[in-house]
Amino acid sequence: MATREAGKKMIMLKSPDGMEFEVEEAVAMESQTIRKMIEDDCADTAILIPNINSKILSRVIEYCNKHVPTTGATGAAASDTVAPAALAEDLKIWDAEFIKVNRATRFDLIQAASYLNIKGLLDLTSQTTIDTISDNSLEEIRSFLSTKNDYLPEEEQTIRRENQWAFQ
Amino acid sequence: MDAEQLLTYIYTCLPEPPVSDTARLAARRAAPYHDVDRISGLSDALLHDIVSRLPFKDAARTAVLATRWRRVWLSAPLVVVDNHLLDHWPPTRADAPAVTAAVSRALAAHPGPFRCVHLVSSHMDGYPAQLKRWLRLLAAKGVQELVLVNRPCPRQVPLPGTLFRIGTLTRLYVGVWKFPDVACLGDASFPNLRELGIFSVAMEKGDIKAVVARSPVLEILNIQGSVKGLGLHLISQSLRCVQICDSVMENIVVVDTPRLERLILYKVRGSLNPASVLRTGIKIGNAPKLEMLGYLEPGKYVLQAGDTIIMPGMKPSASTMFTSVTILSLNVRFGVHDDANMVATFLKCFPNASSLHIRCEQCDESTGKFEPKFWEEVGPIVSVMLRIGVMTIREFRGEEGEMAFLKYFFTNARALKYAAMIFPNPSFSSISKNYACSKANYLTSLNWATQGCGFMVYGSSDPEGGRPWCFKTGAEFSRDPFSW
Repeated sequence: MATREAGKKMIMLKSPDGMEFEVEEAVAMESQTIRKMIEDDCADTAILIPNINSKILSRVIEYCNKHVPTTGATGAAASDTVAPAALAEDLKIWDAEFIKVNRATRFDLIQAASYLNIKGLLDLTSQTTIDTISDNSLEEIRSFLSTKNDYLPEEEQTIRRENQWAFQ
Repeated sequence: MDAEQLLTYIYTCLPEPPVSDTARLAARRAAPYHDVDRISGLSDALLHDIVSRLPFKDAARTAVLATRWRRVWLSAPLVVVDNHLLDHWPPTRADAPAVTAAVSRALAAHPGPFRCVHLVSSHMDGYPAQLKRWLRLLAAKGVQELVLVNRPCPRQVPLPGTLFRIGTLTRLYVGVWKFPDVACLGDASFPNLRELGIFSVAMEKGDIKAVVARSPVLEILNIQGSVKGLGLHLISQSLRCVQICDSVMENIVVVDTPRLERLILYKVRGSLNPASVLRTGIKIGNAPKLEMLGYLEPGKYVLQAGDTIIMPGMKPSASTMFTSVTILSLNVRFGVHDDANMVATFLKCFPNASSLHIRCEQCDESTGKFEPKFWEEVGPIVSVMLRIGVMTIREFRGEEGEMAFLKYFFTNARALKYAAMIFPNPSFSSISKNYACSKANYLTSLNWATQGCGFMVYGSSDPEGGRPWCFKTGAEFSRDPFSW
């Protein structure tokens, strides 16, 4: 493993399109999937992330960088010196900016968050889809999510009747 | 408290549901979108996760999108929160028919499991059959977290005994009911129940004891508004935190609770009549891990260590000391001599208290007989001299008795690291900033037993008469709930 600064282990992440990202081990370990690889010693030189392209991977790393519990120069956790509430508020604002991306990117991020098992990122990215479903009519949701209605008309009538209470 | 105030308080004490609809209310419409969409590329597991985070009405609507979505909906662990059905708050009696009907259909339509069901919006007195059916469905479909709060008038709608058949419960909160007859318990048990809250529920003697006895992993027991003057006998191998608020209790007997860490009492009285001299007996038997106890009230409780009653002025002995307690809180009328005398005795009985939190209560004219020399003659107290590192005093008015105690305390407390004096909310009291400063200046001019102690003085932002107890903070094991 490469070592950049004393005490900070670095990890190399590779995307399938050949890009390499050197990140601090602590940042990479925000991903439970990578954490497991590191802990199981399957991460000697570089970790190939098979299904996440460099554009998405760089965004994911950006997210992890922001969310890793930071340590200052003295080694004291930042949360000891900054009020936790202020820190959380700052993160919330940052998250809201981070997620201002087009929908394709968002779904890529959902998938990446799911594969890499990063709970915070999965919560953040899923919420937009949740808002979409909550905010729109059935037809709008279908078009929004490119979901093809594969019910037969009479089937759909039955299901609708069953769940009629949810449309009132 | 009137009914609506009481409900508002109860709602703040309930656990938060894992799904909220506030995001939805705040969400804006996204701009029209022309990219190729990729949600169909998401796995069932991911969709499952998304659906289980939706308010349940929205989740049910997804079933009509496509066959795949219906499959996902049917298998997602559902969260049913009935106030998500309303676009206003609080609910009125006129909302009940629609809400109860939607809840009935939702509980019937989904095969379970129900991760979490919160039903708090209906006046259930008109719907006994539905209530019974809901509980049957919830039992059959394995609900884990259940919150059931009735809208009152009449107050005491009986809760069906079917409640006892829900063995999958991990968390249960019931509010504003008549407790089911424990004769219905039979061989029922709650093998997974960790947290139980009973708010403004009419109970009979032995009800709580019977439920606790059948809950082998119960850790948190919260009781509010039990006003019948019952006795509570605690026997549990698992209980860690017991909180009792706004209640009338004849006695609270901690019989055998090897894991109990916290016993928190707030406005527990011996009688509904404020003028009554009936006191609540608090008897601590086997509780070797008890580290937090309060608010002890000298004039209102009779504290008992095993078989020995702690009497004011008594000489402490090994059998009258609570050595495990490190966080102690007291509610005191310092102007009343008997109270002050009891405070000194309490402090001697808790030799390992490292945090002391005091709420001052004002005394009536009739009971105010203060003996100015008392604290000067009280002599050394181990906890004050060697242990107490944190001391807070709230609703502090700088009255003679309070000042005399603080003078004793600051000139003797050698281990003190942090002290806070909190005056009542200035919006509700006549205490001026100058008055507060003069009191603080006097205290800081004394010869303190410790150097470099942090000292803060401020006016509280609490409502008049102090803030109601926060059960959530009280059950956070990493926090000292008295220090907020």
